[in-house]
Amino acid sequence: MSTEPLKQDSYDIAIIGAGPAGMSAAVTACAAGASVVVLDDKPHAGGQIYRGVDHSPLETPDTLGEDYIKGQALTKAFAQSGAEHLRGVNVWHVGDNGEVLLSEQGKTRRLTATQLIIANGAMERPFPIPGWHLPGVMSAGSAQVMLKSDGLVIDDAVFVGTGPLLYLIVAQYIRLGVPVKAVVDTTPKENYLNAAKVGLGVARMPKMLLKGLGLLREIRRAGVPFYRCAEALEVLGDEQATGIRFSAGGQHHEIEASRVFLHQGVIPNLNITRALGLEHHWCEQQLCWKPNLNVWGRSSLAHVAVVGDASGIVGADGAHIMGRIAALMQLESLGFIDKDQRNEQARAGFAQLASMQRFRAFIDALYRPMDAHRIPQQDATVVCRCEERSVADLKAGFALGGKLPDQLKSQTRCGMGPCQGRMCGHTVSELLGQWNEQPVSEIGYYRLRSPMRLLALEELGAFSELAPSHANAKPEVQS
Amino acid sequence: MSQLKTSDVLIIGGGIQGASAAYHLAQRGVCVAVVEKDTVSRHASGVNAGGVRLLGRHVAEVELSLESMRRWHQLDDELDADTGFRARSLINIAADEKDLETLAQREVQMHQLGYFHEVRLDQPELRERLPFVAPHCVGGVVSESDGYAIPFHATQAFCHAAKRLGAQFYEGQQVEQIRRVGDSWLVTTATERFQAEHLINCAGAWGDLVSVMMGDNVPMSYSAPMLMITTRMPHFATPVVGAVSRPLSFKQFENGTVLIGGGAKGFADRTANRTRLDYKLIANGAKNAIDFFPIMRTASVNRMWSGLEGYMPDNLPVLGKSARAEKAYHAFAFSAHGFQLGPVVGEVLADLVTTGETRFDLEPLRVNRYERKVL
Ligand SMILES: Cc1cc2nc3c(=O)[nH]c(=O)nc-3n(C[C@H](O)[C@H](O)[C@H](O)COP(=O)(O)OP(=O)(O)OC[C@H]3O[C@@H](n4cnc5c(N)ncnc54)[C@H](O)[C@@H]3O)c2cc1C
Repeated sequence: MSTEPLKQDSYDIAIIGAGPAGMSAAVTACAAGASVVVLDDKPHAGGQIYRGVDHSPLETPDTLGEDYIKGQALTKAFAQSGAEHLRGVNVWHVGDNGEVLLSEQGKTRRLTATQLIIANGAMERPFPIPGWHLPGVMSAGSAQVMLKSDGLVIDDAVFVGTGPLLYLIVAQYIRLGVPVKAVVDTTPKENYLNAAKVGLGVARMPKMLLKGLGLLREIRRAGVPFYRCAEALEVLGDEQATGIRFSAGGQHHEIEASRVFLHQGVIPNLNITRALGLEHHWCEQQLCWKPNLNVWGRSSLAHVAVVGDASGIVGADGAHIMGRIAALMQLESLGFIDKDQRNEQARAGFAQLASMQRFRAFIDALYRPMDAHRIPQQDATVVCRCEERSVADLKAGFALGGKLPDQLKSQTRCGMGPCQGRMCGHTVSELLGQWNEQPVSEIGYYRLRSPMRLLALEELGAFSELAPSHANAKPEVQS
Repeated sequence: MSQLKTSDVLIIGGGIQGASAAYHLAQRGVCVAVVEKDTVSRHASGVNAGGVRLLGRHVAEVELSLESMRRWHQLDDELDADTGFRARSLINIAADEKDLETLAQREVQMHQLGYFHEVRLDQPELRERLPFVAPHCVGGVVSESDGYAIPFHATQAFCHAAKRLGAQFYEGQQVEQIRRVGDSWLVTTATERFQAEHLINCAGAWGDLVSVMMGDNVPMSYSAPMLMITTRMPHFATPVVGAVSRPLSFKQFENGTVLIGGGAKGFADRTANRTRLDYKLIANGAKNAIDFFPIMRTASVNRMWSGLEGYMPDNLPVLGKSARAEKAYHAFAFSAHGFQLGPVVGEVLADLVTTGETRFDLEPLRVNRYERKVL
């Protein structure tokens, strides 16, 4: 038996996630004198966007673009902030009582904090088309991760989908001289019209948008075959992806490829906010669940704030500002600053956030993923990858009474696997909305629990010895 | 307020007991309705450990449990459904000499009562049945008929069978008031009114509240037993496993996942339908599993959860007629082992309603067994 005492630390503020939102919250909170701990599963700060920005495996990281390099200023401020940064730790439980349990080098450690900021970011939206579960199919985001953290690239891949991240990774590949077989763009025609309706005058088009257009030009100029308005997608292959079939411009196409990268935007990663029992709502503009928050980022639990993409997709700049605003709110709750100071220091941030909203609405309209790519209609399409449940399996479960996500999960095991429903939750909400002929908001989402990720039984067992147990388990009547 | 809904029998609670009672009554041509405040199988009956256990039953429950076990073995055919039932046997492991002594005493008692379904195992026999058991385990006891089922599927199976026979289920209806009006019961929820000649309380962890509305006071407590399940592992255990004196219980399903329980309890908020886990206690269960089966060292926990359950001080359910009211019956507070009893409980309740009696001795389970003697 280990005699090592449990490290038990308490902080004013615990921040989960060291991306732009979490780092800026930490910088703000530390500057006012709060004790802050930042927990992140990566070895370095930066989050998804600034992943490895200070530790790039690439000789010329600036090929990744100015938006990436810009992260260095924030990571530097964060490094100097005085916040305690726990790297490479996996948070597996966040309690509504301020308790955080995390795995650190195979051991569970317990922290408590008066205030919590959840800044664990977004994940890629599932792309449930026929064959998306086959080996050889990956997300464009994982291509980025490989590139940013390991300097790895894959030749002759086909990139399929819509959204800025998709074009960015393709452009980065091109700059690095990696051959790209084709880009199959699934942005539907009507999106251009709907985006135009948002009424963003060209004169007011932000720099970022022009940059996006620049990426597309860059891709076409490089001579990469580019198909627009693709639909009826199907990844080919039995055991392994062998290609992709789709129709575009009134024609059927088939491209041979052993590597297919899919991407259709990002959505908040709900596993912490849901397991914490925060209230959520369905956002029709972004087609995802979001925690209910006030303007400061405060959730339905008074001491918990959610910021950045974890709160709804806001982008790196929005995340940066939200992190700061939420930190100011919590500093006031903790008594480090007063209400006037809080309001004064947040004013500029609120103004910036407001001016970003139009642009966000434009982006959301332009890259809104098609219904057919979110709500699979073919019986054979896999919805839950962990338990290999297809649309047909779910239909059968629905017929047996699985009308809501939890019932369907109990009925079919859809969502019971190690990803904790991350990869099927939104699909299930939307499918059930369609089958029940009810708005998705009425359907809800899975009831989630800790652990947020797989936890070694041995680590958990050791925790029983480390933890000061208040009640000794006595043998119970058997179940 | 919508139209009055009338039936011969009204059942409060859509867990396995309520659904089974509805099935048995409908089968006899009785017009029956079930009101459930959430959804059928939402609580203990849908999230329990699925243990179908006869082994180690309190003597007051053995007859009921024996009959229920007989029913489980043919339940899929009877209900025309897949309850997930698998007969795998259940072994309780003895970790030391003291445990062996406990088992020897139990054997004497059971044999005296004429029960021979629990068979002691010596160390080699234990090892033959559970090759991966830790070397310090010295023996055990087995019940061959035992096994597991999939709780949500089994409860749904009763519900579907009942519906096919004409039973009505009303979900999202919380009973708020119960009144005796003339010869019948009048039961109201926020939006509906129900009238029935007979009333059955199958309200699980809320059973005491419903019981009070019917006139019977009981010292029931409630709690949130916790469970965890691992990712798939290589097959290493066929029987369901428990321990004589340690909080351990687990079973490996056909897909390789291992469900670990053991009776440790979390925190329960039954008004909010919420439970919280006690991670220190559940960690203890993890440690026990590894102590008894070192192969579990390689396991990863995928999910943890708990459900709400009602307990009586003697860990026996309340089953039988109301002490105060006519044509009123209880079946609640199954104290974390009511899933296995589901089939027989429905039958008992149907007998009580239609004939006024049952062949089982329900004296030890009567609702007023804790009532203070009048001085
Ligand atoms: C984690 C856990 C593990 C377990 N493991 C096992 C096991 O392995 N083997 C075993 O045999 N047993 C086990 N049990 C016990 C078993 O699950 C229960 O004893 C059994 O399911 C009880 O069934 P029930 O129908 O009485 O209760 P429930 O399933 O709780 O059903 C009662 C229903 O009544 C409803 N209700 C309550 N009040 C009202 C109201 N006012 N109006 C309308 N509806 C109302 C509730 O919403 C609920 O759905 C376990 C229990 C738990 C929690």
